[in-house]
Amino acid sequence: MFLRDLATGLRSLFRKERVERELDEELNGFLEMAVEEKIKQGMRRKEALRAVRLERGGLDATKEEVRAAGWESFVETCWQDLHYAARMLRKSPGFTTVAVLTLALGIGANTAVYSVIDAVFLKPLPYPHSEQIVMVWEDVHLPHYKNNQNTPAPGNFAHWKRRNSVFSGMAAIGYRSWNLTGSAEPARIEGEAFSSDIFSVLQTYPALGRPFTPEEDRPGSSHVALLGYGLWASRFGGDLSAIGRKILLDGEDYTVVGVMPPDFRFPDPDDQLYVPLALTDEQLANHGSHYLRIVARLKDGVTLAQAQSEMSLIGRQLTEQHPDSNTGVGVSVISLRDQIAGSMRRPLFVLSAVVGLLLLMVCANVANLLLARASAREREFAVRAALGASRSRVARQLLIESLLLGLLGGAVGLALAFGGINALRGFAPVNQAFARAQLDSRVCLFTLVVSLLSAVIFGLVPAFQSSNHGVAGSLKEGTRGSEPREHLRVRGALTVVEMALGVVVLVGTGLLLRSFVHLQNIPLGFQSDNMLTIRVVLRGPRYATAEQRSIFYQQAFERIATISGVRSVAGISFLPLTMQGRTTGVSIEGQAPLAPGQLPFADFRDVSPEYFSTMRIPILQGRDFSWRDTPATSSVVVVSQSMARAFWPNGDAIGKRIKLGPLDGSDPWITVVGIVANVRQLELATEPRPAMYFPVTQASVTGDTLRDWVIRTSGHPAAFGSAIRSAVWSLDSSVPVSRIQTMEQVRISYLGPQRFELSLVGLFGIIGLVLAAIGLYGVTAYAVSRRTCEIGIRMTLGAQRHDVLRLVISNGAKLAIIGVAAGSAGALALTRLMNDLLFQVTPTDPATFAAVALLLVLVALAACYIPARRATCVDPVVALRYE
Amino acid sequence: MPDKPTDLVQGTLDMLILKTLALEPMHGYGIAVRIEQVSKGVFRVNAGSLFVAFQRLQRAGLIRSEWKATENSRRAKYYALTEQGRKRLNTETREWGRQVAAITRILEAS
Repeated sequence: MFLRDLATGLRSLFRKERVERELDEELNGFLEMAVEEKIKQGMRRKEALRAVRLERGGLDATKEEVRAAGWESFVETCWQDLHYAARMLRKSPGFTTVAVLTLALGIGANTAVYSVIDAVFLKPLPYPHSEQIVMVWEDVHLPHYKNNQNTPAPGNFAHWKRRNSVFSGMAAIGYRSWNLTGSAEPARIEGEAFSSDIFSVLQTYPALGRPFTPEEDRPGSSHVALLGYGLWASRFGGDLSAIGRKILLDGEDYTVVGVMPPDFRFPDPDDQLYVPLALTDEQLANHGSHYLRIVARLKDGVTLAQAQSEMSLIGRQLTEQHPDSNTGVGVSVISLRDQIAGSMRRPLFVLSAVVGLLLLMVCANVANLLLARASAREREFAVRAALGASRSRVARQLLIESLLLGLLGGAVGLALAFGGINALRGFAPVNQAFARAQLDSRVCLFTLVVSLLSAVIFGLVPAFQSSNHGVAGSLKEGTRGSEPREHLRVRGALTVVEMALGVVVLVGTGLLLRSFVHLQNIPLGFQSDNMLTIRVVLRGPRYATAEQRSIFYQQAFERIATISGVRSVAGISFLPLTMQGRTTGVSIEGQAPLAPGQLPFADFRDVSPEYFSTMRIPILQGRDFSWRDTPATSSVVVVSQSMARAFWPNGDAIGKRIKLGPLDGSDPWITVVGIVANVRQLELATEPRPAMYFPVTQASVTGDTLRDWVIRTSGHPAAFGSAIRSAVWSLDSSVPVSRIQTMEQVRISYLGPQRFELSLVGLFGIIGLVLAAIGLYGVTAYAVSRRTCEIGIRMTLGAQRHDVLRLVISNGAKLAIIGVAAGSAGALALTRLMNDLLFQVTPTDPATFAAVALLLVLVALAACYIPARRATCVDPVVALRYE
Repeated sequence: MPDKPTDLVQGTLDMLILKTLALEPMHGYGIAVRIEQVSKGVFRVNAGSLFVAFQRLQRAGLIRSEWKATENSRRAKYYALTEQGRKRLNTETREWGRQVAAITRILEAS
């Protein structure tokens, strides 16, 4: 029955003429028969026609009635409205362009931000049943060290894996990097060592070849490797014969057994190669060195909370069994999604709030424009109402126009978002989440919904207003070509809303800007200009011992120093501002032994002689290292000022001795020979922690190498890259030289996330400011045009130009001040949410609030001034005639 | 002089059309005239309601239509009852009888 209705309805829609003709013929026949009947009864034809029309209804009215009865007539009138709406929009290209473009900005910004949110929080991760995948960390809670995502020790991992009943599988991951040598240029490859369970935990397998076998995951078995898809494509040309081939990693043979799928980015997006982890029995018994990452899969039906509580219990058992290494060490289980989303949560939250506010401003603005237009069209609606259009029909017409505008805005916005997402990807700090952001069907659906929703929001006010008007009143008012008073009130209110939203967005921008300036201005503790850094990692049998490496460093530094323009050169194990480093517990000679877990912690790194002078880090006391500090001489250390103060408050650090680990440990005593100024090594925003520098020539203390080299130049540092690489290769052409970048680039990329947030929020803030200004300008301009006559009279009666100016501007200023006040109140309530993103600025920073308020009021005055000036130029005679 | 013809009770037109067509297929004017004659001029059907009802009944599959020549060799659309329409007529007649009896009882209760 429904189908028949549908079919007949469609037939009348699409074969309209034929259906019309049939109805026409049938009705004509009907009426003709009635007329004949009357004639038979003795009437004259003319009388009969009249009588029939009275009794039965006229032909056209009947046809209209029949036509309107089916559902298809609703579709048809909507179609007509749509046509009409399109024509109206075409007829006023200025209005349409402004409305569609502002909508596109608002909708596009929301779409772009949503696509990232979708990728980070909503879209399933690219692993089967990814909601079961978790990361397991040590939850360390010690007096001097707290970290709920501490990398677990292999001994703890082995214990967790043996004891738990909540995971169907648990796999360990260790960071690895290699020098890949052989036919092509030596390359520095980063990757991971996986335990063989990883494939069943992730339920992801190589795209080509095979995964590691459990046998290959044992120490001493043959070397095998899996290639990342990118490496396979770039270094092996995507050649299938790469599988089974041998490659040279750090001078040793590895057999390629497979290639991972192209979208495999676990755990780091930059990984290029994977090998078996093959933990030794000795490692599996070690609870003291923490360097693994653990991924696990929950058993079916086990919740995250259940897993967490069982693992916490296992953690407590471990603490009892191994108090020396596991005091204060618990377990934290974090879902993979939260792990990846991690630090993105707050910035994305703020961003989506900002684009949401922006869209509201856009809606208020478009509603304002529509209201202005509605006033101009008041007569049109009145005429339509007089001709019999119902109020709901007129309101529907307006809503359809709004929907059309919304959809056009959405379409252009989608295009903007497409560009925007690509820009975000190029511009954003490296993150898995951004890599997965794209315009897919989910995002397009979101855009559609947002467009329609905005259309309803900005279309409702004018539609309601217009259907609210009496016909006669409108026709009369319309003839005077002025705007109804209540429109002006509504538009004033919309402007206030816009100003208020603008204040909120701009205060957010201002706070981020001030934080960023503070961050930028933090003294780093070293000079980053005119400095180049490169990464050189020595691997293989030629560089097995600290002595061999020291000789290479000294020779390489000498060769680099001979390049003209190079002032000095040095090396360090972990470059500042690269988020990497090592930390250890320290014992001080002469102090009472401390309980396990109570040892104070200090960061440490290995450096070469002249590192401090090359970086321009002042040596406050004592001496620098020299190449004559060797394993044969006594072990020495240079400490940072913060360490000297914390460990030796009496200021007598030089000559004192320390030991890494507990007092009764077997490590050698190390003598403090120097104190250097603090450096912001890991984080800009926090006070420098105690730090130690060890000479790389005595690397047996730490086992570290000089991974990052720093070269101070007298000219622009980037120009020295290739000369420096040649100098290294003149010693050994199989040593890869990678990450050639200036220290300034390192600093900028460290500030990347903050810069990113700031630029986005700032961009949206400026758009918001412009929108608020346009809104206020529009309202003021309309108010002025409405009062042209009044102004004329005032001037005839002797009002001066500045009186008129004051009259107009005071009206606009009133709106602006109400808006700024409301916005400041809103901002006070909202900026608290961005506390985490701020640095050395409180969310209620008075300076920012005052500056934003001042800025908005100034912009508002400027927006009022233009129409106000126009008002003063009114010729009283013209104005009076106008009436 | 009979009373002025009245409009139909809401919703009864469909039933009357079905009843009229139960005798034989008929064109629109014939149906209107027949309803008026049988009701002895109490009801008058205007063209608008009649044709809206045809459209509705046809879409519901209760009647079907066909162009045929009339006795005066004019072309007209003839409507006929479908099997479904016949069933509907039966149930509606029964229901109507029940309702009328009930209303009568209420009105006559003293």
